Amino acid sequence: MEEKKKFISRFREAYDKHYKLLIILTALLIILSFASMAIFYVHNHDFIYKDISLLGGTSVTVYGTNFNINQMKQDLTKSLGDIDINSLKDVFTQQQKAIVIQTSLDAKTVKPILESYLGYSLTDQNSSFESTSSSLGSGFYQQLLVAVLIAFSFMGVVVYFLFGKGKWIKMLLILLAILSPFLFFVLRAVSIDFALILSLATLLVSLFIYWKFNVPSFAVVLSAFADILMTLVVIDLMGMKLSSAGIIAFLMLIGYSVDTDILLTNRVLKATTGSVNHRIFGAFKTGITMTITAILAVLAALFLISSFSNTMAQIFTILAIGLCFDIYNTWITNACIIKWYATKKNEIKS
Amino acid sequence: MKLNLKLTWKIWLLIISLILALLSIFATPYLFQNGVVISGITQNSTASVQGFKVGAVINSINGNPVKNIDDYSTILQNVFISNSSQKVTFGTNQGQVIYYSNLPPEIIVKSISPTNLKTGLDLSGGASALVKAENQSLTSDQASEIAQMISNRLNVYGLEDIKVSPISDLSGNNYISIQIAGATPQDLDNLISQQGKFEARIGDQIVFQGEKQDISSVATSGQQSGLQTCNQQTDGSYTCTFNFAVYLSQTAATRAAQLTQNLTINHTPNGDYLSTPLDLYLDGQKIDSLQISADLKGVVTTQVSIQGYGIGTTQTNAVDNATSEMKRLQTILQTGSLPFKLDIVQENTISPLLGQNFTNTILIAAAVAILAVSIVIFIRYRKLKESLAVILTSVSEIIIILGIAALIGWNLDLPSIAGILATIGTGIDSQIIIIDEARSKILNIKQRLKRAFAIILGSYFTAFVSLIPLYWAVAGFFKGFAFTTIIGITVGILITRPAFVDIINKIEKD
Repeated sequence: MEEKKKFISRFREAYDKHYKLLIILTALLIILSFASMAIFYVHNHDFIYKDISLLGGTSVTVYGTNFNINQMKQDLTKSLGDIDINSLKDVFTQQQKAIVIQTSLDAKTVKPILESYLGYSLTDQNSSFESTSSSLGSGFYQQLLVAVLIAFSFMGVVVYFLFGKGKWIKMLLILLAILSPFLFFVLRAVSIDFALILSLATLLVSLFIYWKFNVPSFAVVLSAFADILMTLVVIDLMGMKLSSAGIIAFLMLIGYSVDTDILLTNRVLKATTGSVNHRIFGAFKTGITMTITAILAVLAALFLISSFSNTMAQIFTILAIGLCFDIYNTWITNACIIKWYATKKNEIKS
Repeated sequence: MKLNLKLTWKIWLLIISLILALLSIFATPYLFQNGVVISGITQNSTASVQGFKVGAVINSINGNPVKNIDDYSTILQNVFISNSSQKVTFGTNQGQVIYYSNLPPEIIVKSISPTNLKTGLDLSGGASALVKAENQSLTSDQASEIAQMISNRLNVYGLEDIKVSPISDLSGNNYISIQIAGATPQDLDNLISQQGKFEARIGDQIVFQGEKQDISSVATSGQQSGLQTCNQQTDGSYTCTFNFAVYLSQTAATRAAQLTQNLTINHTPNGDYLSTPLDLYLDGQKIDSLQISADLKGVVTTQVSIQGYGIGTTQTNAVDNATSEMKRLQTILQTGSLPFKLDIVQENTISPLLGQNFTNTILIAAAVAILAVSIVIFIRYRKLKESLAVILTSVSEIIIILGIAALIGWNLDLPSIAGILATIGTGIDSQIIIIDEARSKILNIKQRLKRAFAIILGSYFTAFVSLIPLYWAVAGFFKGFAFTTIIGITVGILITRPAFVDIINKIEKD
């Protein structure tokens, strides 16, 4: 017991002394992530590897138990070009149930090639085909990016309403947040490319306003942003090809990551008793339980569903990675900034 | 410890919502009935005139009980094993149907679903397509008009359970979305996207077109329509020919008479024919060329026989191809051409095989996830009651979401299920906040829980606003996700979380 107390008090001392270093560490991590994204962008001319639901192409699921994936990949690359094949297995018996073949060709071209390779015809009883044209895929990609950017802006405004002050600033933020969706969905006055640039620009302006007028809101938004950025870097490093559902996972991540940040900020700013460290630690106990349960639930779902649907598996993988980063970004990034802010405010008060 | 049985109104609200949700899920019109439901009857078939009704439940055939689809098909197979006409008595929940034919009735039956829940095509199997006009953008009016025509075409073709609707995406593009539950027709692509401009010409003169003013009716059954001959070609493949009668309007028939009047007669070993054949074009491509018998020269005849063929590697294959080719041509002639050339931009045909297992897997996944979460909560708080309360609240949240989905007939597709899982995740997060606030030692319990609710409301609004753009993005593909999440978090904030606050309040007081 004595040992534990000693450790805690030492930990506190160290935290009080060095927490600003942690802010610098976070800044370095974010810069590193940006650099990694920049390098990725230069090589691939995009922020992610896209799968056929965004690039256009066909995904064929063939049901059966005895496919040799490696052999098939070798044989079919000649006729179908660059393809991805993986198998779906029963989660309990680990027996192969089906294989999924992804190719950039359209269904009409793929079907006869596969049929002649397999030696039987593919019907709706033994296979599923999903194909998307490339024009639709790229259009969807842009729309999803706009949706994520706008969702992020909206989230920021809500956070500012929770913790920020000033009627005029709130009004300005609402105006900024609805500017691009209003021009884009309601008036259809701008093209999708312009809508993308516009929503990115308004987002950056709002970020500046958060930083200038309400540091706690800025900290929440920044840590949500860092979650997304770092997850993106890892996903790219893993070489995962994102589907449209994968982008939705990032949208889910916004909601999940902001939860704990709101909890932390609320506890630190609105509590009336206890030191800042005490409040952060109290929030940490609650928040870490939240995140750990979420990660466990996501991993359980991932384990069961990955055998079943690649799309769902991707959603859960992204969530799991994102939630892990959320632990860092909530309890290091956000906590340090809010501690710095609260300490400063107390100094001014006294 | 005294068990406090007095429940607050918030807990009552949760209980009542749960009961209503369960009713909405399980109170189907076929509750406690055995048999198979008639989900579709082929138009103009023998079955349609002999008293079968969509929605009726068949529970016996010739006195043998029918409990499921397997019973239904086994019994019918045995009854119609010989090709002779049979009198069959079908017992239904709406009285007996006496059926007399040499073939099984042309009806589609489904097993009785134990719930009112509907699954999306990506789980239950079926085909979906997204269509737009080639090289031009459609207005929403044009999209509605085309949707109506495609729907008509699919109905005439004989498909049941279809949904064709105009749809637009974030960029303002208009599409037509087509969803067909169950088996996918082989030539779906052509059925939905083929413009279907049909022309019959003699030389460069149009005799008649595939439109209402020229064609009064098309024979689709009986003597006037069917396969003719099947032959093996020199390369080993098979070719089957079909023909069917088309009845022209008086104006078209008169026009044909005027055009044939000027032709000369050729004498051939096979008989006497007019000098120029009748050429059939579909979307600018010549599909067939028919010799016109000499005795039709200048005669006003309203009946024209259309011929065509199907090729296949085996005879069965060729028969299938010829049959579907004939059916498609008949459909196009009956429904007329579409105003635009269409382009299929997305098409999915999903086998029903996977969906059956999926429902089970998803249930197990949800159960395991909730169990994992409650174990963490038990480890953290060392209290059984709290863990149980979390399980109970999460399960009721799922039930209420499903109840609402059943009530409004929402199709639960994969995105919808992902949405439900996401909701449960945020729901548990909020419950943990509530437990912790309730256990903190400062303030009184009411104030603490009020503070918990402030945090939860904050999370609610951030989640809500971040989902809004998704509702319209990508032609509604993730509508299900946005829908179930918004329903879920709203149910959470209005019903389950207030009740959970009161439950925790009670547990902490004890």
